[in-house]
Amino acid sequence: MREEFYKTLMSPVWLGALVLTALLPFVLSSYYLHIVTLSLVYVALASSWNIVGGMAGQISMAHSLFIGIGAMLSSALLLKLGINMWLGMLISAVISGVLGAAIAWIDFRFQLGHLSFVLITLAFAEMGVIIVEGWDFLGGASGLMLPRDTGNFLAFQFGGGHGTFWVMLALAAVCIIVNLAILNTPLGYYLRTIRDNEKAAQAIGVNILRYKIAAMVISAVLASVVGTAYVRYLTFADPYLLISPVITIEIVLFATVGGLGRAFGPALGALLLVPLGEVLRGKLGGTLPGLHYFIYGVVVIAVILVTPRGLLPLFEAQWARWRARG
Amino acid sequence: MTELWQALAQGVLIGSTYGLLALGMGLVYGVSGVVNFSHGDFISLGMFMCLALYSALSLDPYASAVITIPVMTAIGAVVYRFLIRPMVGHQFLMIVQLTLGLSLVLQNGILMVFGGQPARTPSMVESKLIILGEIVLRVPHLIAFAVSFGLAIGLYVMLRSTDFGRSIRAVHQNAHAAALMGIDVGRVQVLTFALGIGILALAAALLLPGTPIQPSQGLRYTVITLLVVVLGGMTNFVGIMLGGLVIGISEAFGTIYLSGPLGHLMPYIIFVAIMLFRPQGLTWSSQR
Repeated sequence: MREEFYKTLMSPVWLGALVLTALLPFVLSSYYLHIVTLSLVYVALASSWNIVGGMAGQISMAHSLFIGIGAMLSSALLLKLGINMWLGMLISAVISGVLGAAIAWIDFRFQLGHLSFVLITLAFAEMGVIIVEGWDFLGGASGLMLPRDTGNFLAFQFGGGHGTFWVMLALAAVCIIVNLAILNTPLGYYLRTIRDNEKAAQAIGVNILRYKIAAMVISAVLASVVGTAYVRYLTFADPYLLISPVITIEIVLFATVGGLGRAFGPALGALLLVPLGEVLRGKLGGTLPGLHYFIYGVVVIAVILVTPRGLLPLFEAQWARWRARG
Repeated sequence: MTELWQALAQGVLIGSTYGLLALGMGLVYGVSGVVNFSHGDFISLGMFMCLALYSALSLDPYASAVITIPVMTAIGAVVYRFLIRPMVGHQFLMIVQLTLGLSLVLQNGILMVFGGQPARTPSMVESKLIILGEIVLRVPHLIAFAVSFGLAIGLYVMLRSTDFGRSIRAVHQNAHAAALMGIDVGRVQVLTFALGIGILALAAALLLPGTPIQPSQGLRYTVITLLVVVLGGMTNFVGIMLGGLVIGISEAFGTIYLSGPLGHLMPYIIFVAIMLFRPQGLTWSSQR
């Protein structure tokens, strides 16, 4: 672990931001608190995706599958078999991890480079949709309704707005810290080597399959856990929201807009775009459904054409200029 | 036994239209290395343009194609020139993300204009059937099959024996060398992309009669198209038509013989199985 990891982790900016965010439930109205909570969900999801998509350069479209397993399976286990949701979260996370490893291995058999990974993960995501929609155990097309959140921590209930907010903040922080940690360990270097030139990485003896699997498993487990917490927040396991590939596309776009492969890039993208989308939906959703996704799309196209590395490098350059002057 | 022939016939007819959807993508991939993840949303766009023409002028989808093909071709040229060309040469993944963004724009643009309710566009031949012995065939499927194969053969001939076709093949084989031979590579790429999108307008009109449509369907068409292109070995026309048939037939068999989700999973299961054992796709030669 490089020294920079501890430096960033202990930096007053990062710790200050965490403490200030943690105090938000005391000042915000429930509407704005909902927007911030939702933003944190996507910060966590985009950061977990970043390990595979940003660092290793493998555009995974399968993350809806891991989020969906975390959400739908843990709910089904609770409602149909009475299994405690903490245990359900663990079971879902293990299944997601194994599936992630399997997908990475299947991809390794392909010989089409980056494209094959996008494709095989997309095919798996589509299979996930079909299975959930057609299987009543997982709620089928109508979804599952979780019991009311009474604040019983042992039953995976966090007491509504405030409690869930802190859980989400903790999860988002964990996902960002895992990103930071990976970037500052050999795994991070190997992943970036694989992203930049897979053949060269192989030539210098990087075990590509092993590191791809490692990245995919870490990423899948995180996404699955966030999925379980997200469904507890929503209290309704909606298959059209939680297992649809659209959720992955959103995550990919947030990460791209913020800055791929950086620890704070995906978080930046989610923190900018989720509130924008929510406010637009609140103001115009009734009259023009689809408008906020339309605007997401336009923003993404604009960002990619203007600054393909995302917004974070721009902010950093501005920050450096500001410090040099001050 | 009747069931078997029925499934086979239906699979072949539907599969040929999947092949048609995939031809454009394979062509574009060969010439500019671009994989368009908004492919399915362009199909949606074509279908909804036909719907709009039907509600405004009560045009039959087949007649609408005369209008939608040139319009979509022009849209394709604009999209390539102003969105995709600036990204060619950058990382492959950037184009994936750009076209994913484009997919959101198209899908939700359609949603904003037409609303989210499933819609249908009637056609003269919609409910016409042809009965061959014990097999029942729908006329729209037959028309789609005939046009798809006709167009595939037409494209093949065009690539073999016209100057434009030869320049496409030259750019496909080696863009640098083609440029040195005096071929305007940029122009060939724009025209190919436009042609690829134009074909989708035709495919949309062929698929439309009797099919309910909704704005969110695009991604599923993209996935099917990608499966077919990859099965076909990316750029091989014969392979792509064959890939379309494999996906179409496995879909028909899945829905007829297996109930519930397992049936719908058939194309994906077959795809993963084939790719595990033949990662280079269905075509036999290693020539690319």
